[in-house]
Amino acid sequence: MTSVTHEGVEHIADTIRAARARNEPLRIVGAGTWLDAGHPCADATRLDVSSLTGITRYEPGDLVLSARAGTSLADIAAATREHGQWLALDPLGSADGTIGATVATGSCGPLASAFGTPRDHLLGCEFVTGSGDVVRGGGQVVKNVAGFDLVRLVTGAWGTLGPITEVTVRLRARPEVDRTLAVALDAEPAETLWRWLRESELTPLAAELLSPSLAAALAVGNGTVALIRLGGNETFVRAASDAVGTLGVAHEVPSSVWDRLARAESAAALAVRVSALPSHAESLWQRALELIAVTGGYAHATCARGVVRCVAPTEGADIDMLRTALLRLADGVSIVGERMPAHLWPALPSARSTRDLEARVRTAFDPAHILNSGVLGA
Amino acid sequence: MSALRSRLAAIVGDDRILTRTGELRSYEADGLPGYQKRPSLAVFPGTRDETVAVVRVLADTGTPYVARGAGTGLSGGALADDVVLLGLHRLKRIISIDRDNARAVVEPGVVNSRLTAETRRFGLHYAPDPSSQTACTIGGNVAENAGGPHCLKYGVTLNHVLALTVILPDGTVVTLGSPNGEQEGYDLLGAFIGSEGCFGVVLDATVRLTRDPAAIRTLLADFSSVDAAAQAVSAIIASGIVAAALEMMDANTIQAVEASIYAAGYPTDAAAILLIELDGPAAGLEDDVARVIQFCRSAGARDVRVASDPADRARLWQGRKKAFGAMGRISPHLVVQDAVVPRTKLPAVLATIQRIATEHRVNVCNVFHAGDGNLHPNIGYNADDPDEAARVHVAMTEMMQACIDAGGSITGEHGIGLDKLQYMDRLFTAPTLEAMCALRAVFDPDRRSNPGKVIPIHSCSEWRAAPSVRAAAVR
Ligand SMILES: Cc1cc2nc3c(=O)[nH]c(=O)nc-3n(C[C@H](O)[C@H](O)[C@H](O)COP(=O)(O)OP(=O)(O)OC[C@H]3O[C@@H](n4cnc5c(N)ncnc54)[C@H](O)[C@@H]3O)c2cc1C
Repeated sequence: MTSVTHEGVEHIADTIRAARARNEPLRIVGAGTWLDAGHPCADATRLDVSSLTGITRYEPGDLVLSARAGTSLADIAAATREHGQWLALDPLGSADGTIGATVATGSCGPLASAFGTPRDHLLGCEFVTGSGDVVRGGGQVVKNVAGFDLVRLVTGAWGTLGPITEVTVRLRARPEVDRTLAVALDAEPAETLWRWLRESELTPLAAELLSPSLAAALAVGNGTVALIRLGGNETFVRAASDAVGTLGVAHEVPSSVWDRLARAESAAALAVRVSALPSHAESLWQRALELIAVTGGYAHATCARGVVRCVAPTEGADIDMLRTALLRLADGVSIVGERMPAHLWPALPSARSTRDLEARVRTAFDPAHILNSGVLGA
Repeated sequence: MSALRSRLAAIVGDDRILTRTGELRSYEADGLPGYQKRPSLAVFPGTRDETVAVVRVLADTGTPYVARGAGTGLSGGALADDVVLLGLHRLKRIISIDRDNARAVVEPGVVNSRLTAETRRFGLHYAPDPSSQTACTIGGNVAENAGGPHCLKYGVTLNHVLALTVILPDGTVVTLGSPNGEQEGYDLLGAFIGSEGCFGVVLDATVRLTRDPAAIRTLLADFSSVDAAAQAVSAIIASGIVAAALEMMDANTIQAVEASIYAAGYPTDAAAILLIELDGPAAGLEDDVARVIQFCRSAGARDVRVASDPADRARLWQGRKKAFGAMGRISPHLVVQDAVVPRTKLPAVLATIQRIATEHRVNVCNVFHAGDGNLHPNIGYNADDPDEAARVHVAMTEMMQACIDAGGSITGEHGIGLDKLQYMDRLFTAPTLEAMCALRAVFDPDRRSNPGKVIPIHSCSEWRAAPSVRAAAVR
């Protein structure tokens, strides 16, 4: 495997054009923490974009920031914190992860409950197509409908339409008060939390349900625990804390718990998300508990979005057992693999209905199919 | 044409097809003043099955067509120049409302405000609220990725559509996005929203509904200069208080509104007013109201008042939502513009717009979504006066260029359509326009769905001539 490091966008474009002429596959590499999610991918030359770093434009009064793709989330957090702002996106994993990879993989975390996924934060981006063309979609303003939406197209495309080289995101002011409460829930915890979220007008920034194993690992309580993050002015947060109290005995936990949640898993663990209508949260949750009862590991749920994420160790695991457990988990609901051993991927039922259109999109942007082949499955 | 006509008539019935000049007159224009294009034929299916059958006949015969909702679009998107016009306003069923999951499935012809009216009994509403909401359709909103005053806090159409069933120009019906649960793969739903009718026709939309806020406070702040009002906007945005809406109207707009039947009691001697709405749970709302009032006063507001009751609030909003209509009454013709600038550039850009207006002796009225930096500098004029028309054209072009130069965009919500084609090259590089053509070709390789809109034709020819495309075509 060879590796090339690139300074500028033009250099990346040259490399892609050259690779294309030779029909040489390329694997785009950011921080390299989550390269191919364990997908069975062919060997490829590494196209390293991690050297494209730095915030290129940040006008705090606009609440908009542009950064090169290799800039880490930690660097963006540090620059914006100085002005009382943040990018309200907290993908799981280390904060050394890059903004480019976050966007390319469409990654999000508990804050998606209130702020949505990368598609809702992204205002513009620059990427290089598989033909070596440098394309700049969207712009630097918070509202923009000019032209067809290339920005949404490359978000979550895992680099298969081109490496992202720069992004522009929407920022938000950090809440005056940011408080996290932990509350233990016993019977039908997902149903209880979902119902509470639906009926309470005091919408939290995040509300994540933790399986007993995860709650114990994070030392936030015994049994199933809901972590609820409240943000707003003091009056709001006080009222919202009272409302959380109606769920059970709540205690405040340091907000560093969210970082610990993000880093809780080992890079070798299997991670999948199942999702359905939010009103089905409880049945999803029960299935997830069944899975981890067999495999070990933990589960957590963003109830407002109807998404449950399961994390299971794979070292020494019986692959057939894992496969059977996954199939049971996925039965009749949507499942998205985040990271799995290569031979498990083919077992996952596909939640896609538009293969034909997708194949045409791929060919339109990467005619030789040299970019990140295999990373999105067959 | 008559063969096509009879095939379509067999689907929708004879009385749902128009071909005569007189009958077609109502479909010669949309909300964009000054343009008229006559469709070759207009067809109005009444059901989803009829729509599918019609699109398949159009595919079969290689016939270009333009989808049309209510025809309120302000960029000429629904204009059909000697091609078939496919009217969708009869598809107006609300198919289902899922109260538990706060979502609804609707046909494309459902009028925006009707969806809110039908879901109000559940304490829910459809958040995107274009000022045209009493007329425009969800299909048109999806096609334009429509915004509205309350999109500042709640997001635009893109953020509220969970799934779409669409019929592609070749007659294939596909579901984009997923109504229940996450979907893997490319975000084709995101790509489709805002595609201005060029990627296919929406057959139904699954949309998110939003809980009605428990409390609403509407403020009217009155300023003696546009600059002071713009400073107040900046201060509010920077404070982190997320207003539900933050709208500005200048003196010309205020006077137009106050002289119309929509008079809202705006101060007619103000240089600018801000209409600010804060909403949410009662807890903490008054604290935010107090701070916003303070920001306005510090920026030099002469007066800030809070709407006393729902009727007062509705009246304040009516003036804003009908402002375009009010302007239309003063001048025989009106150019409605739509551009976006970074919010810190608002004071400078507004000053530039005024300078351009003065220089070219045109009368500009600014009424806009200040919180998003989404400007609508509108110019009333008489199109029959060639000298005035020429000055308006030059002034508009300079104003758009000023917005682009400030790092902005040429449209925040009205779309490119026909009207803004001329500015696309100024905003996007040639490879970017070519990439957009490539995306369109995925959905509509023959460019039959809303031909000639959004991307200047020369960009597409360049794309077609590109070696990569030829190589792909050969394979
Ligand atoms: C007074 C006034 C105020 C306005 N205020 C706002 C505002 O605040 N915010 C805003 O965003 N817009 C505003 N608009 C613009 C306009 O109302 C919106 O763009 C609206 O979304 C258009 O909806 P429509 O049903 O009238 O669509 P049309 O004008 O009929 O069509 C618009 C585009 O949508 C396509 N289309 C229509 N139906 C379908 C379908 N089913 N499938 C695929 N494509 C389709 C058409 O081909 C066309 O390209 C305003 C317009 C007016 C006249």
